[in-house]
Amino acid sequence: MTILKNAWLSITRNKGRNVQIGIIIMVIAIGTSVALAIRNSAKSLIDSYEDQYEIEATIGVNRDTMKENMKDMAPPSTDSSSGSTSTERSEKMDDMRSAFSEASNLTVDEINSYGDSDYVKSYYYSLSVGLDSSSLTKASSSSSSTTNAGGNNNSKGMTGGPGTETSTTDFTLVGYSSISAMSDFVSGNYTITDGSVSDDLTSNTCVINEELATLNNLSVGDTITLYDSDSTTNTITLTITGIFSENDSSESSSSGMSMFTSSANTIITNTNVITTLTNKDSSLKVTTTPTFILTSKDDIDAFTSEVESKGLSSYLTVSTNLDQIESSTETISNVSGFALTFLIVILIIGGIVLFVINMINIRERKYEIGVLRTIGMKKSTLTLQFICELSIVSIVALIVGAIIGASVSIPVSNALLANEISSQSNKTSEVASNFGMDKQNGNFDHVNGVANTQAFDSINAVVDIKVLAELLLIGLLLTIISSIAALVSIQRFSPLTILKERS
Amino acid sequence: MKKNKIEDKKSENVLTLSNVSYRYYDAEPDEYVLKDISLTFDEGKTYAIRGRSGSGKTTLLSLISGLETTYEGDIIYRGTNLRKIDLDEYRSRDIGIVFQSYNLLPHLTAVENIILSMDISKINVEDKRKKALDLMESVGLKREQGDRRVLKLSGGEQQRVAIARSLSYNPNMIIADEPTGNLDKETEDEILQILTRLAHDENKCVIIVTHSKNVAEIVDVCYELKKNDK
Repeated sequence: MTILKNAWLSITRNKGRNVQIGIIIMVIAIGTSVALAIRNSAKSLIDSYEDQYEIEATIGVNRDTMKENMKDMAPPSTDSSSGSTSTERSEKMDDMRSAFSEASNLTVDEINSYGDSDYVKSYYYSLSVGLDSSSLTKASSSSSSTTNAGGNNNSKGMTGGPGTETSTTDFTLVGYSSISAMSDFVSGNYTITDGSVSDDLTSNTCVINEELATLNNLSVGDTITLYDSDSTTNTITLTITGIFSENDSSESSSSGMSMFTSSANTIITNTNVITTLTNKDSSLKVTTTPTFILTSKDDIDAFTSEVESKGLSSYLTVSTNLDQIESSTETISNVSGFALTFLIVILIIGGIVLFVINMINIRERKYEIGVLRTIGMKKSTLTLQFICELSIVSIVALIVGAIIGASVSIPVSNALLANEISSQSNKTSEVASNFGMDKQNGNFDHVNGVANTQAFDSINAVVDIKVLAELLLIGLLLTIISSIAALVSIQRFSPLTILKERS
Repeated sequence: MKKNKIEDKKSENVLTLSNVSYRYYDAEPDEYVLKDISLTFDEGKTYAIRGRSGSGKTTLLSLISGLETTYEGDIIYRGTNLRKIDLDEYRSRDIGIVFQSYNLLPHLTAVENIILSMDISKINVEDKRKKALDLMESVGLKREQGDRRVLKLSGGEQQRVAIARSLSYNPNMIIADEPTGNLDKETEDEILQILTRLAHDENKCVIIVTHSKNVAEIVDVCYELKKNDK
């Protein structure tokens, strides 16, 4: 109580000195609270965005491994005797083709094995197979369907293997393991225009593109029959439960000059239908596209290691949509990074200034220290009193700083974000101009890391309880650091010497 | 090392110096400021320690008040060696120190300076402000001067506040270093009267370090320190 009383008296009777210290702490507090508010709000926005757009892992071709193997198969140079012979190269190519073909045909059991992981929240998959039909006319100017084409626009699957067998078929039958697996419907790329997708994922039903329906005069309730081109007896008859359309933007971007959309010859069904076909003909080439919803972005590496340990071929690799998500939050991440740098700088500079000012103040108060020690105040009590004084000044300054910080954090953070968005936009415009286009006319989203679409255009950087708690902690830390000056001086000063100097 | 509390036993002498020698840490081995000093101080008496400049008067006062601890010999307070005493506690409860330059805290009022001393000594007083004002009156100050910052008081008034402060926790000894050095003759007399009264009426041991012949004439015992020229 005595310490508090003396500290309070000292503060109120030496206003100039304490106001000076208070202003420095207040400036630190304003900067810190703004930076913390931006950091926390940005983090929570990014987390919430990442929660909203879950981390999806797919299994695709490992191009690095393929490139390495290609190098081994390179023809020998004329002046070298160490190259492979053409026979050896051919053998290696056959081996790789065979390995890739085998690896790319993931079985449902393998997918279930990979999906049975602590890092996986849920998983689904699609199977696609190339089929023909004697009763259907294909939309002939659309992209041709191949057994390894993946079948739909969700091209994260395993496509384009080295020299993979590409027996051209008229139609691609894509079977999904669940409703949520139908990512094109989920994303709005496909929209049902008539009927619906059957929720019975074991029935012989399908939905077809409206262009195919128009071309063949088909409607909901009609049936279509498809057959395996290698085994014409292996047929399947499906009832049309819905007709879908593909949206225009994806059409223009992926179909080029085609008069039909890329999904015109795609027939969507369930995995049960495709399993029935493969049971009848095990040689039927099926492309499997699994999607694993991971529990967190931090689990990507662990999941990759796990599937590799479970036997994933070296020709395949795990890829995720993390880059896409992070690209959408790039500007806000940049603002958050700037806030962190600002926070570190202000804490270092502020801490040093505070320490130096305290050193000077302690020197000015040498006489007071001498008197108090002479009349019997213990060093520990004196130190506590000085720390107490600084703490009271710090708390008041932190409160004022937090209030000011709270009132400026939102406009400051939004100004920073707007500046960052503008900078990103300029970058995109520069890329567009390299193509001789306006940014609006070209699709420059994620071109070489240039993010055109940003998830956020404002940030609600509020000074909340968490920020206040962090601010208090930082304030406490700064107080302790700057009190070291007092601690050292009080231990070092001899009251006799001080009073002699004074005399 | 944990220091002992001062034993509350009555001793014949309140303070005894036995073969006390002191030299500065950077002085030659035989270059002593004080050499083999043996003195005794009793309660109820006034003492003057006189000597020329450099004779070690102030050094002796520093040793007695526990502000300087690197000495040879023994200083015994009420039967306990000062080396075994918590010196902060000793200064805050057992001795009152009055300096030539007053050594009051300028940001505090006269009363606050006195109360601060009571707070440090942890003396149990019901109304510290009242006691501080009473003490001020006892050293010839007016109560209304209590709430003035000490810098607004005259030298003599500040010295009276310093004496009142040193009396606030009722110490056994008052040690005064040139207490009248900065004061005029009239004020000097008044201050000396107060110190003498404290010894004779309140049974304190008053030790005054001084140059003044005037002081030496009115004290009960006068010790003369001679400069040690090796």
